[in-house]
Amino acid sequence: MRQRQGLIALAFLAPALVCLAVLRIVPAISAVVESFYSESLLRGGRVFAGLSNYTDLLGSKDFRQSVGVTLLFTVLVNPIQVVVAFLLAVLFTQKAAGSKLWRTLVILPIATPPAVSAVIWSVIYRPDGLGNGVLERLGLPAQPFLTSSSQVLPSLIVLLSWIGVGYWMLFLIAGIQEVPVEVREAALLDGAGPWRRMVSVTLPLVRRPLAFVLVADTVSNLLVFAPVQILTKGGPNGNSNLLMYDVYNRAYALGDIHVAQAEVVILVALTLVIVAGQFRLLRGDQ
Amino acid sequence: MKRVSLSALGGVVGILFFLPLLWVVTNSLRPGSETFAHLKLSWQTFFELRPTLHNYSALLSSDVGRATLNSIFVSALTVIIGLAVCATAAFGLAAFEFRGRGLVFGIVVLSFLVPFDAIAIPLSTMFRDWQLTNTFTGLVLPGIGNGMAIFLLRQFFLGIPAELVEAGRLDGLGWFGVFRWIYLPLSKPALIGAGLMLFLFQWQAYVWPLLIGTDAKHILGPVALSNLQGQNFADYGLVFAGAVVLTVIPLVVIAGFQRYFVQSVSSTGLK
Repeated sequence: MRQRQGLIALAFLAPALVCLAVLRIVPAISAVVESFYSESLLRGGRVFAGLSNYTDLLGSKDFRQSVGVTLLFTVLVNPIQVVVAFLLAVLFTQKAAGSKLWRTLVILPIATPPAVSAVIWSVIYRPDGLGNGVLERLGLPAQPFLTSSSQVLPSLIVLLSWIGVGYWMLFLIAGIQEVPVEVREAALLDGAGPWRRMVSVTLPLVRRPLAFVLVADTVSNLLVFAPVQILTKGGPNGNSNLLMYDVYNRAYALGDIHVAQAEVVILVALTLVIVAGQFRLLRGDQ
Repeated sequence: MKRVSLSALGGVVGILFFLPLLWVVTNSLRPGSETFAHLKLSWQTFFELRPTLHNYSALLSSDVGRATLNSIFVSALTVIIGLAVCATAAFGLAAFEFRGRGLVFGIVVLSFLVPFDAIAIPLSTMFRDWQLTNTFTGLVLPGIGNGMAIFLLRQFFLGIPAELVEAGRLDGLGWFGVFRWIYLPLSKPALIGAGLMLFLFQWQAYVWPLLIGTDAKHILGPVALSNLQGQNFADYGLVFAGAVVLTVIPLVVIAGFQRYFVQSVSSTGLK
């Protein structure tokens, strides 16, 4: 009976399993396998290369810069986005006129596809674009934004936060709304001020959605691609050359597919290490 | 007093987030040559008193217009096929007890832990070998096997009482009948949530369409728009109109199914 059930279940599962295996798992394995090979003109084909693709990468200054830029970007963008999303979630769950409408305005940009957002912001960041128009009105000097080595990452962070913060805020609002009313009222009766209530009551009770947001946000920011490819091409001087763009560039502009696969493996490994570390940290102080 | 200041703060934040979109809409309603005419910030930067739909009519006959139709076609196909594939799989996982169920479930979870964009480049090499570049099949395929959608549907299916299934079986329904006539009708909210997930995955995709669909017949909206922007003599009116259309379509879909959208978003993170 159980075996028969198994066969029927398998029939229902087969299309999805084939899709998942061929479209997700096989390419992941193939990236690992291919990263140990290289194309040899002399011997006319694919030859086993051991770790040489990896040592080539580690020896390359451009790659090391790309890792450095990616780590710097990760350390900056994730805390900023999570903190802003949390503060906005707290703000928009207060009883105040127009809260629903203002909240909707913050969420709207998540409908815009990332590549379209990048195109929009490419016009905002032009020397004669909206960005400098705003600065001028505030009496501030015009800024170069994307063409400045020191401003390019902050500019990308602003654009990515415009896209992403509303999305992460949704999770946190859902989390805050699940905090029982009695708990909040009890804190109010105990005379806790708003700051105290946020830190000692709300924050610990939304730990789980907060942890999820931090981890998911980190993964998505490690894979940022469209804004770099559309706005900066990794420049100026490699200062926005995030790993995902470097992989693409290596595979398609330089045609170095095997080294690119090695870089994919490193990128995924880096992601896993960072995510595992975050999980540990978040569980550690419970 | 406190409420007034909270409301004012919320208003300022909301409007700051909204300004770029308002600016895009305004500029889509004026000739591209005037995009940078209101450089000195004034109310005219964000409002157009003599709006024209010229950019939108130009969009219809442009590459971006055609690419948008491609995006609609590819996304619709992804939702239909994807839901069929994911719902049957979720049924297989939820309704049967069999050896290796844990293993299969593990594969499903593993498949959505590997971020798709990270494997897009190795996968595109495989698709090139299979000659699926510049085909709709190649564009649609990666969207249909969505582990997260399977996971969501399975969670929902697990809540369907076994007595209903037994009653259906006694009435002579086959297993496919149970799936079609008991599970599916009871699962509309979960199916809509999963459908939204499949739709947004495909509509927002950029890396994959850039790698796989590059000829005029198969290019998708976001890729076409970014190509347009890359040209030196870009007509910004057209760029803005394209950006509006590519944003409004998902916005309408999300707004229409708002309840299910929030449900599917929050259940991925919290439960």
